Formats: sequence, C-alpha cells, structure tokens
Amino acid sequence: MKPQVSQAIILHHSDYGEADRIVTFLTPDHGRIKGFARAARKSRKRFGAALEPYAEVLIHWLARSSGDLVSLRDAELVKLRSGLRRDLETLTLAGYGCELTEVLFDESGIGVEVFQLLQAFLDHLDNEGYSVEARLLLEVRLLSLAGYMPHLQHCADCFGPLPNGPVGFSAAADGSLCPGCDGGRGILKVDRLTLGTFGRILQTPLTRFADFKLSPRSRQEGRALLGDALRCHLHRPLKSLEFLNRFSPGESP
Amino acid sequence: MLDSIPSFARLVAELAKFPGVGNKTATRLAFFLLRQPKGQAEALAGAILDLQRNTRFCSVCFHITEQDPCALCCDPGRDATLLCVVEEPQALLAIERSRSFKGLYHVLHGALSPLDGIGPEDLKIAPLISRLEQGGFQEILIATNFTVEGDATALYLAKLIQPLGIRVTRLAYGIPMGSELEYVDEATVNRAVEGRRDI
Repeated sequence: MKPQVSQAIILHHSDYGEADRIVTFLTPDHGRIKGFARAARKSRKRFGAALEPYAEVLIHWLARSSGDLVSLRDAELVKLRSGLRRDLETLTLAGYGCELTEVLFDESGIGVEVFQLLQAFLDHLDNEGYSVEARLLLEVRLLSLAGYMPHLQHCADCFGPLPNGPVGFSAAADGSLCPGCDGGRGILKVDRLTLGTFGRILQTPLTRFADFKLSPRSRQEGRALLGDALRCHLHRPLKSLEFLNRFSPGESP
Repeated sequence: MLDSIPSFARLVAELAKFPGVGNKTATRLAFFLLRQPKGQAEALAGAILDLQRNTRFCSVCFHITEQDPCALCCDPGRDATLLCVVEEPQALLAIERSRSFKGLYHVLHGALSPLDGIGPEDLKIAPLISRLEQGGFQEILIATNFTVEGDATALYLAKLIQPLGIRVTRLAYGIPMGSELEYVDEATVNRAVEGRRDI
C-alpha cells in the first residue's frame, strides 16, 4: 500500500478498545476519510493533540485492502485552534459546522471548496468567536455547494418575479413562492429583502466570514429558511444542533 | 479447536471481553488460570463477585464505594470548602495518588459531547449543583480532561457555578515533569507558554 499524506481537518473521533481511536477527517483532495489510530490515547508521541476535533493537521495514512478504515501512521499538528475553547457557544458552533459538513456530503462528494469553506469557518471562530452570522454563512454556502440551494429571488414554481414584502417559502416546494403559486404551501413568510441578502451572500467569496452584519430580521428569517432547507436534505438529525439551540444566545428556535 | 473443551472456550470468550484483551491474550490467561491451584481460581472468582455485590456509587460524590457516604466524603480531615470535579473515578484516583489535593470530590461519570449527543442530563451535574446550593464550598476545581469534551464540560460548569458566587478554577496546562521540551507536542508547549508564571 502506498503511504498517503494530506492536509486535513479532524471532524470527529471516538474511542475504541482500551487505547485506540477512530478518527474522521476531511481532506481537500481525498474527501472525508475514517481512520484507525492505534494506541492514540496512550501514546502522546505519535499523535499528541493532533487528533483533537477541529484541529488542522498534516496526516499520514495507509489505505487498507479491505474495509473502509485507513490505518493512521502519524499526524503533525498545524493548528489546534485553541480559541474555539474560549466559550461553550463557540465550541458548540464549531462542532455543529463539522457535523453539518459530515452529514450533508457523502464521502466522495466533498471537494476542495468544502474543505476551504470549513477551514475558513473554523479559523474565523478561532479568532472572532461565536456569531449567528458565521453559522448562517456556513449553512447557506454548504447548501449551495451540495447543490441543495432553494430558489430565493424568484418563484420556485413559475420562475417569475417575487413581489416586495413577505413572500411564502417552503424548502419542500424548492424555495420562494409567488402569491399566484403559493396555494398555502409557503409555510414560512420571508421578506424579499432577506431573500435578496442571502442571494447576495452567495456572490461573496466562499472563505470570507469577517465583517458580515445581518439585521435582526434577516438573522431570524434566515435561520428559519435555512433550517427548513437543511431539514429537507439531512438524512439524520444533528446531535450538535440540539446543543447549539440550547446553549447559544439567540439560537433558540 | 477450543470447541472440544467447552469450559475452556467459555473462559476464553469471557476474558476476551476485557478492554485490551484479544483472543490470543485471553487464551494465554486461561492457560495460566488452568495451571493455578484450585484455591487461586476460587479467590479470583470470589473477588469479581464481591466487587459486583459490594460496591456502589456514593450518594454524595458518586465515587465507587462499599459504604455510603464514601470514606472520602466522611473524612473530617478533608477541606470541606474545596471541591474537585472529575469526569471518572479513575481521574479521582489519579489526583489522590498525587497527594496534592485535600478537598472533597464530585464524579460526573462522563463529559458533555455535542457530537455524541451527551448532554448535562446524562451526567451527575444536577446533584453537583444541589450540593453547591447547600452552601459551604468556597472553591470548585474543575479537573475534567483537556479534550474538546472536557473543555466543553468545564465551560458549562463554570457558567452554572459562577452565579452561585463560588470561585471556579481549572487545572493548569503544562509540560509533564521529567520531559524534554523537544519531545512535547506543539499544543502543550503553546498552552505552557500562555500559562507561564514568575519564579
């Protein structure tokens, strides 16, 4: 087996047996990989803190001929992102970002852009801490990269223009609905300005998180519409989302 | 091969359930037990049964004990104004071995884990807060692990405890005694530099 090496973000790990660890990590070129780190909990020499969730590492592994777990040989810590541990809100939002990325894409569907997006998101939280804006920017960009972005600025049914003011929205109906097509399906009412804001966010560079400030209305409506869109496409509920709603200011639904 | 000796196969299967013990080690241990005097095997079986029958969790601190409250909670020589919170009984034993802490303990039996869905209600956090609300504690030392889960638990506990007007402290980060800087990982060095102090 040819040894592989790649830059990676540690998404998650779980303990196995007495001292081993199973680690899920995201790479720019190989997508999401699950690896077996023998004696990772006992030996601090080979892995140290490099397998801590949200860390950025240079990881070395050997693919196995059978099974889907690769064998981890070594991991050099590039960035621990200890700023994420400043408060519970930031730590929980980082976990939510990683779990959302893991669940929204299958192993092979993750490209370099998803890696760069998650990397920029974690870096931003590491430096600036928790914000509702950071969460919404990540959600809308991940939905777009996954190809699940609902129609925002025109009617999802007739593709016609939307009137000013609140319009109906339903992720199940594929997005915004004009009054003529709504027919009671638009379970959410979202202002057209909010729809425009999120449409414009998608035009900004994928890795830019700083200096976004959304109005309270855009934050509230954005959370509702992105939440609706994500619920439509996630194959299981996110464990970290319950934490986020519970422990973060302004997150309760 | 072992199927022809069912008693032996059964023992190997049971031993192989121990953490870190595979089939090979289990077989070796079974052969070892086979060669021991009968009394030795009975003593081992008795010790395992006694452990199961006689131990429970202390109703105050949730450490393993044979008497309730446990010997640590009942010890009048310990500082009853100082409480150390740990994730597991093993961590309590590690701190006791160091002989550096003379206060009381509280064992959470786990840590918060947003990614595994382990929340406060899965841990012994509610009894901890009830204990603190009864008064008497001046400082809570949070000695959870230095992992994402341990840090999340520490942050959560600090948020709950600080409004009670009790001082909350956390174990210091640092370089292990007897180690050379060259071989210590970057994250630990980084934390040690951040937490440097005057000498």
